[in-house]
Amino acid sequence: MIYLDSAATTMQKPAAVATAAAWAINHLASPGRGGHWPAMASAEKAFACRETAAQLFHVKDPERVVFTFNATHGLNIAIKTLARPGSRVVISGYEHNAVTRPLHALKVDIRVARGALFDQKAVLAAFRRELDKGADLAVCTHVSNVFGFVLPIEGIAALCRVRGIPLIIDASQSAGCVPVDFTGLGAAFIAMPGHKGLYGPQGTGLLLCGVDPAPLLEGGTGSESRQQAMPDFLPDRLEAGTHNVTGIAGLLEGLRFVNNMGVENIAAQETKLIQNMGKGLRGIPGITVFQAEDPDVQTGVLSFCIKGRDCEEVGEILGSRGVALRAGLHCAPLAHETVGTLETGTLRASVSAFNTGQEIDRFLQIVQELCAAKG
Amino acid sequence: MLYYLIVCRSLTYAQRTAAALERAGITARVLRSPKSISGEGCSHSVKISQRNLPDSLRILQRVGLTPKRVYITAGDGSYQEVAL
Repeated sequence: MIYLDSAATTMQKPAAVATAAAWAINHLASPGRGGHWPAMASAEKAFACRETAAQLFHVKDPERVVFTFNATHGLNIAIKTLARPGSRVVISGYEHNAVTRPLHALKVDIRVARGALFDQKAVLAAFRRELDKGADLAVCTHVSNVFGFVLPIEGIAALCRVRGIPLIIDASQSAGCVPVDFTGLGAAFIAMPGHKGLYGPQGTGLLLCGVDPAPLLEGGTGSESRQQAMPDFLPDRLEAGTHNVTGIAGLLEGLRFVNNMGVENIAAQETKLIQNMGKGLRGIPGITVFQAEDPDVQTGVLSFCIKGRDCEEVGEILGSRGVALRAGLHCAPLAHETVGTLETGTLRASVSAFNTGQEIDRFLQIVQELCAAKG
Repeated sequence: MLYYLIVCRSLTYAQRTAAALERAGITARVLRSPKSISGEGCSHSVKISQRNLPDSLRILQRVGLTPKRVYITAGDGSYQEVAL
């Protein structure tokens, strides 16, 4: 199989991830819940994971690295800490439902700072306009999960800092794929999954906390047990219940892989693959490719449409021919509305550090054959 | 053998504390706080030897880590809080 769905989950992982997760199942107990070796070893694993993540994302204090189940979980904590019914919240035109649904549930006043695809200046100008009208909160994805568009997050963060508006960043598609500097950005929160660009198991995620959060769940933390209120310190405040230690053990190895390989090197490799893919697709008649002229504003995610073909049907056919990619709206209708693909959806190919040039060549050949057969 | 227990607000804080001390060459072990000194319920402490307390406190102050409380073991196995 040619796996091109890493924007959903990187399925090909470093071997150490599965080894660590498998070992954890039979050797690690609940961190903080006992003084015996399996509990303390589990706690050491969790701490090593926090420290490694803190180093990678420039978080000064590893206590501010909180384990979540996924990015959606982290975004819900962040949004429900900072937004209230009626709050004026500025978002980009490329947000995932993980952002827009919690905002809708809270009945906030959503303002979309819309800018053309791959036009960072236009997005920045749109944010400036909306923020200048007054805002209680800004939420912005770092990279579009549909188009791989790298939003000008440093500029947006600077606009928010100057105006004293808290910023939540959805780093679902950027963590491990492009540099993310928590301290430099000065964000209130940055949420990310563990199972995409960090190469951890599914069911893992991280929330980097710049402000004091409100718990989404209450329960046991292994600390201050006589108190019925949740602890007022991190990470315990947000980590009620038993940790996903198996996942955390795997995530630690994923983080080490990213650290060892280097985010810049991963980005360069993925960009090269996606540039070649885009070039090849553009050469096939009837295909519309959403590709940036400037490779620096697109990660290893590329959307395309085939004229006269239903994207879901094409996705099915490609699946039967050994190509795994995703079709449809990718849980981001707002992004499609912004680009004008809401009615058609797109086919989305996304790469990881494990894809090869040969795989891209073979993928292009299969798409070419599919288009030729139709013609 | 006498030793000190540095009580910390959380497990992660205890781990940071122990890591900072270990980096400075001081042997430090994280353990569950004895019930008699755990305060609000469960907590974690960092165990250090008697001779290392002054250096440990200096190191922790330098890296911005604040012990919640410090106890010393007494001969009868009980713990006495140390005024900092």
